[in-house]
Amino acid sequence: MSSKETIFEKSKWNVNLLGDHAIVFSLTANMQEEIIEKIIELKNWIELAKNDFIIESIPSYHTLTLVYDIQQFYKNKIAIENNHSIIAFANSLLTQFELTKKNNQLQFETEKKQENNSPIIIRIPVCYDLSQGIDLENLSTKNNISINEIIKKHCEEIYLVYCLGFLPGFAYMGKVNTKIQIARHASPRKEVMAGSVGIAGEQTGIYPMNSPGGWQIIGRTPLKIFDPNPSVLGKLQAGDRIQFYPIDFAAFEKLNEYK
Amino acid sequence: MAIKVIKSGIADTIQDKGRYGYQHLGIQPNGFLDYQSAQLANFILHNTITEPVFEIHFPASTFCFTSNYTICISGANFVPLLNEKSIALHTPITVKENDVLQFLKPLQGRVAYIAIQGKIKNETWLDSHSYFAKRIQKNDIFEWGANNEKESSNPTHTDLPNNSITNEIINGIINEIQSQVFSTDPIRFIPGPAWEDLTPSAKESLVSSKFQISLQSNRMGYPLKGPLLPLHKPNQYLSAAVTRGTLQLLPNGELMVLMADHQTIGGYANLGQIILVDLPRFAQLSNQASIHFMENNIDTAHKLYQQIEKKFIHRS
Repeated sequence: MSSKETIFEKSKWNVNLLGDHAIVFSLTANMQEEIIEKIIELKNWIELAKNDFIIESIPSYHTLTLVYDIQQFYKNKIAIENNHSIIAFANSLLTQFELTKKNNQLQFETEKKQENNSPIIIRIPVCYDLSQGIDLENLSTKNNISINEIIKKHCEEIYLVYCLGFLPGFAYMGKVNTKIQIARHASPRKEVMAGSVGIAGEQTGIYPMNSPGGWQIIGRTPLKIFDPNPSVLGKLQAGDRIQFYPIDFAAFEKLNEYK
Repeated sequence: MAIKVIKSGIADTIQDKGRYGYQHLGIQPNGFLDYQSAQLANFILHNTITEPVFEIHFPASTFCFTSNYTICISGANFVPLLNEKSIALHTPITVKENDVLQFLKPLQGRVAYIAIQGKIKNETWLDSHSYFAKRIQKNDIFEWGANNEKESSNPTHTDLPNNSITNEIINGIINEIQSQVFSTDPIRFIPGPAWEDLTPSAKESLVSSKFQISLQSNRMGYPLKGPLLPLHKPNQYLSAAVTRGTLQLLPNGELMVLMADHQTIGGYANLGQIILVDLPRFAQLSNQASIHFMENNIDTAHKLYQQIEKKFIHRS
């Protein structure tokens, strides 16, 4: 490994302050598989060190934001090692991260993957009945595509979770096949039912609870995607891979966890 | 043996320092809007400074005590009345069974805090008592137990010899927090990821113009009325994490400051974040109050924050 390579690797990362109690690592601003994967890799690696002053680690598309406790940071010997500078600490993290990667010591890479090295796919049932997919007909008309074709296209893709937000457990997933991409409603609905599966542009998502919402609803999952019970919470995290499969209304009723 | 809500206010909640560690799941942290005043009320009562308190907005709730407690009110002055008689802020007040606490009118500030001596007994969610997507309702009941019932890992000045905290020290801290929280100095911020996307005149405009707190302000965010701030690129960003105090530029060119109940990520231009030390002061601004912004740096922000926090852990 030449030092030139290390510098090149590191130069792809940007480190910025997010005020006085957070820092953000970022890569090129693209919604892209390789980018969110690198973000998750950095997140997992940072979490291995269990620094007590880091109280949040929030991945999203091309960024990883660390929220820290100011007082805990200055109490930590890491602060002294980095000249009391959080930016110096962030840069040293990146250097170590790239070095560890080069030395091929990334044990964590295997942790989230199956033995055959193919990623785990979370399979989620969706009822695409017109009673649940209240915007299916709208999408069918606007995009000139049959409802069966919409379901097929929505289910054949393996989606990657790029971030969570808007509501607890709301996962932004992509990318949706161009034939079924559709802009969100100009004015959001007052209430979208929990479990509703929607499309907005190249992304798809599931409403974890009843909420106002503007996504085009094409179906509904009977499964609770978010449960406030502390031992359950969100079923999806950034970096997860998921695939939908169709179920009929009878199966939906049988599996319905929202009753 | 409790505190009962006999009339509900518009936006009252229980708050503590908030729930951190769950934003990657989309769970916002919540917590005190003005941590300095909330901590002060607890400090005066010899509580752990991050003990849950009632956060009161105006029009406020009315409370009835069904047993004896010692309470302390800090933050905004809404003219607190105990059995229709005015009571002092920043002072331990003994309340008895059937006493009624209400708030008359907003004289100064936006959020008041009622601390109760002891430890709250109501349930937590993810290690925090901070309300998530709910408000205090009429007939809600809250219970506090004595201070020694639970162990505390947080700093509290009760760990120190009793004689080390004199009234003089407490009064000094009250004065300092009050002048910090209610001063009219500019609100300081550190430029954020989209700062350089502002046009040069917009940058100048942000630090030289007057901004006014909009009527739509709430615990999620305070929209501001002021000059429109143009970007030299479209206001469309891949969503990334935001914090309390984020200056978010809305598509219409207006600013919105995100507050304690902010969503975890945002897709609009992130111009900067208000420094933690100035956030209570910003949070206390009433609707239509005017402010100025001033650029700051991380070294100063950290120094000021530590100075304030140290006051609550006095060593003799």
